[in-house]
Amino acid sequence: MRDGSGSVGGDAADRHVAVEYSTDDEWAAHLVRFVRAGFDKGEQVQYFADATDPRLVTRTLAGRGVDADSAVRRGQLVVTTADETYLTGSRFDPDAMIGLWRRAVENAAGQGYGNLRVIGEMSWGTRHMTGAERLLEYELRIHHEVFEQLPLTAWCFYDRRLMASEALDVLADAHLTRKGAAPRSHDRGGLSVAPLAGRPGFRLSGSAGYESRRVVAAASAALAASTAEDVTLDLSCLDHLDVAAFTDIAHAARRRASGTPLRLVGAPPALNRMMELFPELGAGLQGAGQ
Amino acid sequence: MTTHTPESAENRIDPSFHHPALFYTTEEDYLRGVGAFVRTEAAGGHPVLVAVPGPRLQLLREAVGTGDEDVTFVDMRQAGRNPGRILSMLQSFADRYPDRRPSIVGEPIWVGRTAAEVREATRHEALINLAFDGRPVTILCPYDTALPERVLAEAHRTHPVVGAPDGYAHSPRYADPHTVCRDCDRPLEEPADPLVLHFTEQDLAEVRDTAGHWAQKAGLSSNRHTDWLLAVNEATGNSVRHGGGQGTLRLWRTADTLIAEVRDRGRLTDALVGRRRPDPLSPFGGRGVWMMHQLCDLVEMRTPPSGLIVRMHLALD
Repeated sequence: MRDGSGSVGGDAADRHVAVEYSTDDEWAAHLVRFVRAGFDKGEQVQYFADATDPRLVTRTLAGRGVDADSAVRRGQLVVTTADETYLTGSRFDPDAMIGLWRRAVENAAGQGYGNLRVIGEMSWGTRHMTGAERLLEYELRIHHEVFEQLPLTAWCFYDRRLMASEALDVLADAHLTRKGAAPRSHDRGGLSVAPLAGRPGFRLSGSAGYESRRVVAAASAALAASTAEDVTLDLSCLDHLDVAAFTDIAHAARRRASGTPLRLVGAPPALNRMMELFPELGAGLQGAGQ
Repeated sequence: MTTHTPESAENRIDPSFHHPALFYTTEEDYLRGVGAFVRTEAAGGHPVLVAVPGPRLQLLREAVGTGDEDVTFVDMRQAGRNPGRILSMLQSFADRYPDRRPSIVGEPIWVGRTAAEVREATRHEALINLAFDGRPVTILCPYDTALPERVLAEAHRTHPVVGAPDGYAHSPRYADPHTVCRDCDRPLEEPADPLVLHFTEQDLAEVRDTAGHWAQKAGLSSNRHTDWLLAVNEATGNSVRHGGGQGTLRLWRTADTLIAEVRDRGRLTDALVGRRRPDPLSPFGGRGVWMMHQLCDLVEMRTPPSGLIVRMHLALD
């Protein structure tokens, strides 16, 4: 039984990492560091390329002193593309992906690797592909549904040259650990969402309005999908939310499979005011309107 | 001339809508006209909503008594401070009793209302005729004859039936509700030196922040701050969604009021938009304008050829 504290292979927050880079050198440095650490621990390493030629991955490793070729031959290193694997159906489905991770970890274990390490290039997430809009939902869900359950370490590679900074920031914020993040020159005033460490749930930060409806939709989808009994939505870092955001959350609370109320923490004044106008939105929520 | 009395208790349920205006001068008039109506309706088994200004409310409570649980008293100075939210309250009340022919006393205009409030209250009176057309409801609207003559004249245009405690008659000056609404669409006075913010979708969060900080500095109390932010959020979000993807927000204050005005290229096709409480969980939206009316002390909407103007007032009290 996994206890949700992330004890499987170390703290889950440290094993699901957003890695940002904007030069080939930065990319190579992250790659080498990650693969080398995996080989040192006797783990299987898989690289899912999107923008990068898979041959460049092995060449770069070899050029920086990692014996990639023999690792490939013995099955410890697998370099492939997202298109050939989890995007083969030309659509992205978070539920299917979560199932794939379970099987991938089982396969690695079958080959004698107790821990699986994965790099995934995420640049496909901003392409027009069916389901790509669910990438944020996926990044949010896998903290609890994958990393707290499985001996898996994953670095999600975000190339700043290929993604708009606002889209990238929102996706990277969904990871509890970020590497290579560019300093933000100012508070961009938007909305971000991240999983809670140590207990099922999520935290919304910033200001939720029409402009951030996709972030709220992703958070709501992740809330609705969670099968945990007690799920918390921490709103203590939220300055404002509008009725559309509140309605999305209320819908998600009603859809939860467990049937238990969604626990709200730190609801901002706007939520309590909307509860006065629309008390029915409080069904399925605990801690609202107080 | 035909005379009418408001719905009598002994009659069978009358399926038609009645909307008389009652002109009164003295407290005695008020008790004879309004008090008697409330007593008769309640005695006839009709649920009654009495929404009149505080001092009149007290008078009626004493005259009618508060023991009858089918009479609901509401201070119109609070519930109807913004005339744009009264109709929603009346419809919600009537919706609760579809089979009992509910009766309502609604006094939306009193001495002391500003000219802008009176215009919006007149619009509300006209919209009542659209919203309740064909519904088995009576709405009696008392008018104090101390009100300016032009206000009383409008009551003749917004009520199919007018009268005094002694009897009612058809109003020959009754006008089509849409015509009255158009007449209420007076040009809005230009502010002296507003803060002007042009916005598109990507600016919405910053616009909320700016409007919030501006209101704080302008002296808006903390308990109205949330109302202000929610209202500005809905108005600016509507511009982006329905008003051509962008808009202009102007902020200014008068001696006792903060005003936020949003202009965009939107259209208003339904005169009754925002006048009925929406289902917040409906996928069809429709919450924005209703919320603005609930959150603000006055909302003025105009539809010049250039698009839509929404002006929202919050008092600095």
